[in-house]
Amino acid sequence: MDLSALALQLLSGLSRAMMLFLLASGLSLTFGVMNILNFAHATLWLLGGYLCFSVFQWLTQAGGLGSWALVPAIATSMAAMFAIGWALERFLIRRMYGRELPEQLLLTFALILVIGDLIKIIWGTQNRRLPVVIEPIEMLDSFVNPYYFVIIAAGCAVAAGLWAFLHRSRYGRIVRAAVYSRDMVSALGIRIPTIYAGVFALGVAIAALSAGLFLPVMSIGLGMDMQIIVQCFAVVVIGGFGSILGTFVASLIVGIVYAFTILIWPEGALVVIFLILVAVLIVRPWGLFGSEQRT
Amino acid sequence: MAHEDAGRRWQYLSDSLTRATSRRDFIVSVSAAGALSLLPRAAGAQTEPYRIGVLLPTTGSGANYSERSIKALPLIAAEINRRGGMLGRHPIELHFRDTQTKPDVGAREARSLILNEKVKTVIGTWSSAVAMAVQEIVHEHKVLHLCSTSNSSRIVHENYTPYTFMFGPDSRMQSLSTVVAISKMIKAKGWKNYVTLGLDYEWGRDAQRTFVEGLRSASPETKLIRELWAKLGETDFGSYITAIMALKPDFMFGAIAGKDNETFLQQAAAAGLLKRVAYPGVFLPVTELMQQAKTLPRGIIGLARCPFFAHMDNPMMQGYVRMYQEKFGKADFPDDFACMHFDALNALAQVAAKAGSVETETLRRALVGATVDTCRGRLTLRDCNNQLDAPSYVGEVVDSKDYPFPIFDLKSLIVVKGQEVWLPSCDEARKLQKKRA
Repeated sequence: MDLSALALQLLSGLSRAMMLFLLASGLSLTFGVMNILNFAHATLWLLGGYLCFSVFQWLTQAGGLGSWALVPAIATSMAAMFAIGWALERFLIRRMYGRELPEQLLLTFALILVIGDLIKIIWGTQNRRLPVVIEPIEMLDSFVNPYYFVIIAAGCAVAAGLWAFLHRSRYGRIVRAAVYSRDMVSALGIRIPTIYAGVFALGVAIAALSAGLFLPVMSIGLGMDMQIIVQCFAVVVIGGFGSILGTFVASLIVGIVYAFTILIWPEGALVVIFLILVAVLIVRPWGLFGSEQRT
Repeated sequence: MAHEDAGRRWQYLSDSLTRATSRRDFIVSVSAAGALSLLPRAAGAQTEPYRIGVLLPTTGSGANYSERSIKALPLIAAEINRRGGMLGRHPIELHFRDTQTKPDVGAREARSLILNEKVKTVIGTWSSAVAMAVQEIVHEHKVLHLCSTSNSSRIVHENYTPYTFMFGPDSRMQSLSTVVAISKMIKAKGWKNYVTLGLDYEWGRDAQRTFVEGLRSASPETKLIRELWAKLGETDFGSYITAIMALKPDFMFGAIAGKDNETFLQQAAAAGLLKRVAYPGVFLPVTELMQQAKTLPRGIIGLARCPFFAHMDNPMMQGYVRMYQEKFGKADFPDDFACMHFDALNALAQVAAKAGSVETETLRRALVGATVDTCRGRLTLRDCNNQLDAPSYVGEVVDSKDYPFPIFDLKSLIVVKGQEVWLPSCDEARKLQKKRA
């Protein structure tokens, strides 16, 4: 196999990695900061995708914007999902703080069913996809999907943005402090519930962003949330709860390893990923970039 | 007044099925469908309804392909009921259940339909894995099973039960039809090697294996370079696509269905795979021709199981399409799966009329080897495995002035008859069949 083929495989692996990062970063935030196992994260992602689809359709039919309608469609769905995320935290998730894990699982699983049925009532059971035609570009003696670069750029931008937010802003520092000790942060007079609502809503909005970004290269349909949530959890666990850097690195590992395993042992690509997960859980249960210190 | 009520019920049912099929809607739709299918009874004889359980998914990977079947079945039942129902005196009553594309759920719902709703026939499912789970239940309870979408060849061979009747080409027939078409292309284009990409589950494995074995016999010099397997529900085929391009095969065979097929085609076109590697025989039911109308690359060679446009010269198909469009509008068309459900339900009614009974064992015996009128023409159920002599359709995707979506080029369409590609002898079929108590 020549070098250009390997380079293309690496490129597709990077694109897969960034898809995973965009999906999992919101989950990592809520899981890490709030200690809430949001099993419905991928379902909220799906809802964001459907919202984006509808706004896109409306904009292209009413506004004649063409493919560029995707940008305002994503922005609208992110705003809507931020509001939905805020409301969910305010009225449901908040009641789960300090409760046992099975109760969190039950509540978020119930959300999966409720949101899934809501999607079915509004959008029906047909798959949805954007009628956007992406023309391949010639590169490295082959053809390449140019959208790979959009996804990679978006993944890197979200990673950088989240890192800057968490490490350079006051609000971000409070969020990070809350990961280690919510009691201490609360004792300093900071309103933890508002912080949590904001973090949860941000996680859901990032999910909506990723759903919108995937729409030009992926059909969305009922049930796919359950298929992707497992991979999201794998990435978050490998990277470390609450660590955006960890989620980013874990996504890179998973994406690239998966891409190259397909070349060598296609049937075992997923097995290798879960072997990595098992190894991390044994050697470093809090993940590659996570921390043991949580109170 | 009764007409107005019926109209309202129909409108509600149609709306709820067109827009959505939630769990709650499902239950309401069932009641509405039941009420609808019973309407003629009020005017006719008061006799026992013939209860049929519909097992189709409204969630999971099969939901997309089941929507039109769910919409069409009450329509077909109502049409039969206008003639009085089965034997002219047993109106069909449909009981819908969502299998969620999960074998355990499918088996549970099948059992519940049989024990609680007292259904005598089960129709469905989408996934072959679900169908095989349902086969165990129908065999145990001696209930008829009209298999109109699932098509693993194991259903009529390794997992055979005399209660299951298959109304589409099984995966073996479908794959071998692709072999017939591809063998011609290999000769014409001088292709030497290929790769396969399949979904790693029952149907994908079965379809891939049959194709590879078939092509080995038909064209032994054509070399399989690599087998690739993607998990069911894969969302990113990028790495598979670059891997295929790196292997530089002359063509590829895909055993990919459902939403995964749609996603794969979307990503394959964007990554230039379809410009570099020929992809003949991609599964393209009418569902996808409609959904991918704008983006589907023209000129690719697709395969379908029951495309209505191939039989618009058949009055039965014309009538069915007209009936469907009167209810759901001119922009909607019955897809392959809805057509196969139409044929299955009609076949049951035809056979009951010939047998003069709706008693299960009599019906089962009458279905074995029966020749029935279908919207694909007059076809026979093979007496050794209950497989309909269902054709497969291989053709080039082209734009059509008659429809708002591309269809297969009717001038060059290859229609491979079921009997050309099913197991040559009944002895071979029987050797494979499961021995049941």
